[in-house]
Amino acid sequence: MFRSTSLRLAALYTAAFAISVVILGGVTLISTRAALRQQFDARINAEALALAQEFRTEGLTGVVQAVQERDRTPGALDYGLIGPAGELVAGRLAAPAAPYGWSTLRLRQPHGETASIRVLTTALPQGYRLVVGDDDEGSDALQGTVVAGFVWAFAGVVVLGILGGYGFGRDVHRRLATMTGAAEAIIDGDMTRRIPVRGSDDDLDRLAVTFNRMLERTQALMESLRQVSNDIAHDLRTPLARLRQRLEASRTLATQEEQAGAVGGALADVDAILDTFAALLRIAQVEGGARKAAFRPVDLSALARTVVEAFAPSAEDAGQQLAVQGDGPLPVEGDPELLTQMLANLVENALRHAGAAAKITVRAVAGSGGVRLSVIDNGPGIPAAERQRVFDRFYRLEGSRSTQGSGLGLALVAAVARLHGAAIELADAGPGLDVRVSFPRPVRNIGISQPGGQLPVT
Amino acid sequence: MKLLLVEDDREGAAYLKKALTEAGHTVDHAAAGREGLLLAAGEAYDVIILDRMLPEVDGMAILRTIRASGVKTPVLLLTAMGGIDDRVEGLEAGGDDYLLKPFAFAELLARVNALARRPPTQDVQAVLTVSDLQLDRLKRTVIRAGVRIELQPREFQLLEYLMGHAGRVVTRTMLLESVWDFHFDPTTNIVETHMSRLRAKVDRGHACELIHTVRGAGYCLRAPD
Repeated sequence: MFRSTSLRLAALYTAAFAISVVILGGVTLISTRAALRQQFDARINAEALALAQEFRTEGLTGVVQAVQERDRTPGALDYGLIGPAGELVAGRLAAPAAPYGWSTLRLRQPHGETASIRVLTTALPQGYRLVVGDDDEGSDALQGTVVAGFVWAFAGVVVLGILGGYGFGRDVHRRLATMTGAAEAIIDGDMTRRIPVRGSDDDLDRLAVTFNRMLERTQALMESLRQVSNDIAHDLRTPLARLRQRLEASRTLATQEEQAGAVGGALADVDAILDTFAALLRIAQVEGGARKAAFRPVDLSALARTVVEAFAPSAEDAGQQLAVQGDGPLPVEGDPELLTQMLANLVENALRHAGAAAKITVRAVAGSGGVRLSVIDNGPGIPAAERQRVFDRFYRLEGSRSTQGSGLGLALVAAVARLHGAAIELADAGPGLDVRVSFPRPVRNIGISQPGGQLPVT
Repeated sequence: MKLLLVEDDREGAAYLKKALTEAGHTVDHAAAGREGLLLAAGEAYDVIILDRMLPEVDGMAILRTIRASGVKTPVLLLTAMGGIDDRVEGLEAGGDDYLLKPFAFAELLARVNALARRPPTQDVQAVLTVSDLQLDRLKRTVIRAGVRIELQPREFQLLEYLMGHAGRVVTRTMLLESVWDFHFDPTTNIVETHMSRLRAKVDRGHACELIHTVRGAGYCLRAPD
């Protein structure tokens, strides 16, 4: 409990407040004492003046009478009337050596102890001197009251500080302990564990939300990693087994020609395996999200033209039509290399599955929400029930198993789209398939002009 | 040509050395980073083939060191790391080309040849000439035997690359990377179709062909013997 940050902070604040109270008390005490002394001094001064006046009007006897009378009054000041020879004529302050003006006397009390007393000594006519003072008892009592007040205040501050600090601290401490507990559970392997969120939207709550988002991301990454291992296990084993059989069989081949054929086949198998492997690694890399650092403005319109122009002759040779629509620039924030590969995969996918004499259109348009890239064909399309699954690794539609392809092309498309925050939608082109990749509007590159609204589609 | 091969996989290196020697090159082999660094900095080579991951001194460190000390020998980086950023990093550190393991030997050989005989003035040559074929980089025109040939922009780039490497084999991957800037391998035969169109425009109707297909390797544009 003492290692809790919140409690330590509470203790620190309590100590700071207690020290303030002590300083405040000290200052108050000093100024009170100064004020009291001023008041006393004024009173003593007035008394001395009054008695000197008495001497002048009533003479020695008048003063002696006045002093004796005051001595009998309880709570009065202390007096001493000293004769020319230094003898005490009246009063109690026998101080023959007191100098004129203010001084402090040490007096022996009746019970034996000594006390300090502040006195004012005034000269009277005929060599007499008058000593007036007070034993300060009154001001001591007042100071005592002030000190006691501050001691209570001090105690109050300390008690309130400790209680309050403990109360607030325990709440924070408890919430932090929940977080620690969740983290411990995750360390122990429970990846589904999350930190409870109160909904109070304070800093700790926001920390919990961020923490949970981080956990979601980590879990997704781990899931993807596990998926890759599974995929490798399942889908690389089959071609590897085939390769092994081919090599085994080639050992018994008689002619050199047959053997050369077998080696050629084996090389092709190895290349296919390596391609699959490279594609899997590429997907994993994209899903890892590390490439986001390399994002820069990419003109999707120019990219669409480049890709279409690259594939158009091949399409033409196969009796298909490949065209591009939309003019630019249509900037998005992204990785040009990955976006090119994404669009190339989509175009190749359409060329491969839309059939002979298919018409394929790549369209880049600016919408209200951002930029949309579509690859539209007039082929057989994909049944609605299977549309989501085509983005899974190695998933292939029943009818397409015989055609070329690793089954990883669309998985990479999905990964690249996700990396760019783009949404993929498979729509019915009636007939055919319309793959739409919608990019969010770029936030940074305001320098590039964008055409407003929907482009006219020809 | 004199080549330096820095590669720690002894079996692979022995195979490469044998094949490169058979192709007519002299090959020095260093199996570890420090030896490779000493050779690369001390001897004059036409091309250095450098593996990225090496014991002792890492391939990237060797590359940075020799570039910092003013060695301008072309470097072909070999790597087993398939990341896109790895390639960019390798080229930024002063590498001239980058090849991902595993590769076909023909690919390596073509790239080594392309690097080695790259004439230093090639980039500023405005007009490329091979036999009766002329390509003007500034005017963007191509003339064969006095007759102007109209080319699509991409076909022009393709021909420009072939003529820039005249007499040497260029692979499909080299063309994809330098002409299209595609750093992946499309399953569609886009290089082949563009090439057949280019050949139809450049070679059709002429007695001797300039563009040749090299089986199992790529293409070669060369003057008739």
